[in-house]
Amino acid sequence: MSTTSANKSQSSSDYVEIACQSCGATLLLQPHLVSTVCPYCASPSVIQRPPSKDLPRPTFVIGFAVDHERATALVKRWIGGRSMFARSDFKRAAPELTRGVYLPAYLYGAVSDSTFSAEIGENYTVTETYTTTDANGKTVVRTRTVTKTEWRTLRGNHQSYVMDVVVTASRGVSNAALEAIEPFDLRGPRRFSPSILAGWLAEEPSRTQDECFRLAHDETVAKVGGKLENFMPGDSHRNLRYQVQLSREVIDLVLFPVWSYAVRYDPDKPPVRILVNGQTGRVAGDTPISQWKIAAAVGVGLMLVLAFVLILALSQ
Amino acid sequence: MNASTHTSVCDRCRTPLESGDLRCSICGQAAPADIQPAAETKITILRCQGCGAAITYDPDQQLPTCSFCKSTVAIETIVDPMEQTSGYLPFTVTPDQAGQALRRWLGTLGWFRPSDLRSSAQLQELRPLWWVAWVFDADCHISWTADSDAGAGRSSWAPHAGQTSVQFRNVLASASRGLSVDEAAVVSRGLDLSVVDDSPTGAQNATIERFDVPRSEARRQVKWSLTSMAERQVQNHECPGSQFRNVRVSVVVQGLKTRRLSLPAYVLAYRYKDSTHRVVICGQNTQHLVGSAPYSYAKMVLVVLAAIALAVAVLGVLAASG
Repeated sequence: MSTTSANKSQSSSDYVEIACQSCGATLLLQPHLVSTVCPYCASPSVIQRPPSKDLPRPTFVIGFAVDHERATALVKRWIGGRSMFARSDFKRAAPELTRGVYLPAYLYGAVSDSTFSAEIGENYTVTETYTTTDANGKTVVRTRTVTKTEWRTLRGNHQSYVMDVVVTASRGVSNAALEAIEPFDLRGPRRFSPSILAGWLAEEPSRTQDECFRLAHDETVAKVGGKLENFMPGDSHRNLRYQVQLSREVIDLVLFPVWSYAVRYDPDKPPVRILVNGQTGRVAGDTPISQWKIAAAVGVGLMLVLAFVLILALSQ
Repeated sequence: MNASTHTSVCDRCRTPLESGDLRCSICGQAAPADIQPAAETKITILRCQGCGAAITYDPDQQLPTCSFCKSTVAIETIVDPMEQTSGYLPFTVTPDQAGQALRRWLGTLGWFRPSDLRSSAQLQELRPLWWVAWVFDADCHISWTADSDAGAGRSSWAPHAGQTSVQFRNVLASASRGLSVDEAAVVSRGLDLSVVDDSPTGAQNATIERFDVPRSEARRQVKWSLTSMAERQVQNHECPGSQFRNVRVSVVVQGLKTRRLSLPAYVLAYRYKDSTHRVVICGQNTQHLVGSAPYSYAKMVLVVLAAIALAVAVLGVLAASG
């Protein structure tokens, strides 16, 4: 069993030099990757490093279920289905595969304990009389039922489990970009085992655990806020204020399957990245908008209004 | 393989983890793994045990697969076995006692039933049945809000909120296809859950029901059952008032222990004239019995006519005196 001289104290710009176990070729590996394929003999290697605080051993892996052809077909369909304001050269562009990669993310769970106060609206109806003029122009008195709301203050506590909060651990993919291709089905994860990575690229976390922890914490507080909105009784509520305490927080590193495509629609512009959920096939990315198309649409709209006004003016 | 073997306990919510669980079903915490982390950086190429070719993960198989001989490598994943019963409660009521209980019951149904119901009813079938249910214990911390009529002002509703801790013990949730929810609720009352046998005892030729849902679905039903118990608890004991709406609960469950049991009951069918009726009797206590019985339409018509005659008579007297 040969081992490399790699160690994680190297700066992140340094490549790690490893020897292929099959043909002996020297491979240069980006330090944040944990698996590679030898370009000479196509042998898939998996690199295991000792875990550390910011590079823990993954707990779970969600396996790829969408293969390369299907992902490409989904991306093509997605590009074709973009809005009419998307640039035409974008809609014509062919997606280039960058890679299918296991993306590191943290799965966070906690017990939330909140105190809240809100004004709860309870509706009631009253019958009131009003005067109006009837069809014959006479003044008449009539009655109608009106719904009114009584506002009452409610204070209380709310406790719940929060689970399945996912935050990215990769600098390459922002939390918003990951959210766009969520949800992942977390009911059937695999326990991490190096063999799942064989032949596929897998990244190591490039964000610190503290940073991810804070991200997850904030996302959880927002999630609890949503739960509290649904927890309020009454016909309506307003001025909901709450404080959330999170305890027994746990984060686990999970590898999520993601296909990443680059679409180059204009030689002068950077390519657009499109991500595909490797488990469900959900596609997301930024659509470059054509300013010309928007300007044309606005122009047509203005002309229609103008024409309408002219017709009105002429008909008077 | 006994699927209900408790291997360890979740250290956040004290719910037992079962073999094949990678995460706690209640709070989502990862089950502890007994894998040694790598001590130093090492590179491995996985090779097929059969042919020695390199192995890569295959999205079609969703498993690491040998590229030449297509053999796969097993990966530890969440298993979702079909539920299996872990024990049988014995029958303590004999078929004869069940038949007598039916006769007794037919005689106690009241005047609106046919007068000859007890004597003319013919027992057509009497079949012992072991029906399946989950029996669970859980400590629940319930946070709740609701509207009730207590303290109402101009509106007929006032908002309330609170928290309470409840220990649910031996709560029974039916998994039966053979018994309706209402039938299961009645015949489960007379059971002694402390005596559980490994095999069916106390009845011959019994129908033995099997669980027909996988573990994940069972847990969903047990959780749903817990939530509705919590809602009932809030309405009956926590929230002031007598009328309620918008009862909302958030339940933090701790130490959910679920048993999967087969429970004894007799399913009886009797014929009265041309109609067949069904009765279910608890296999451990004949007091707990549920079923249908015919009404006597002649008696009902008679009562309605008598009531009309009485009303007319009263009106006549009133008119005469007025």
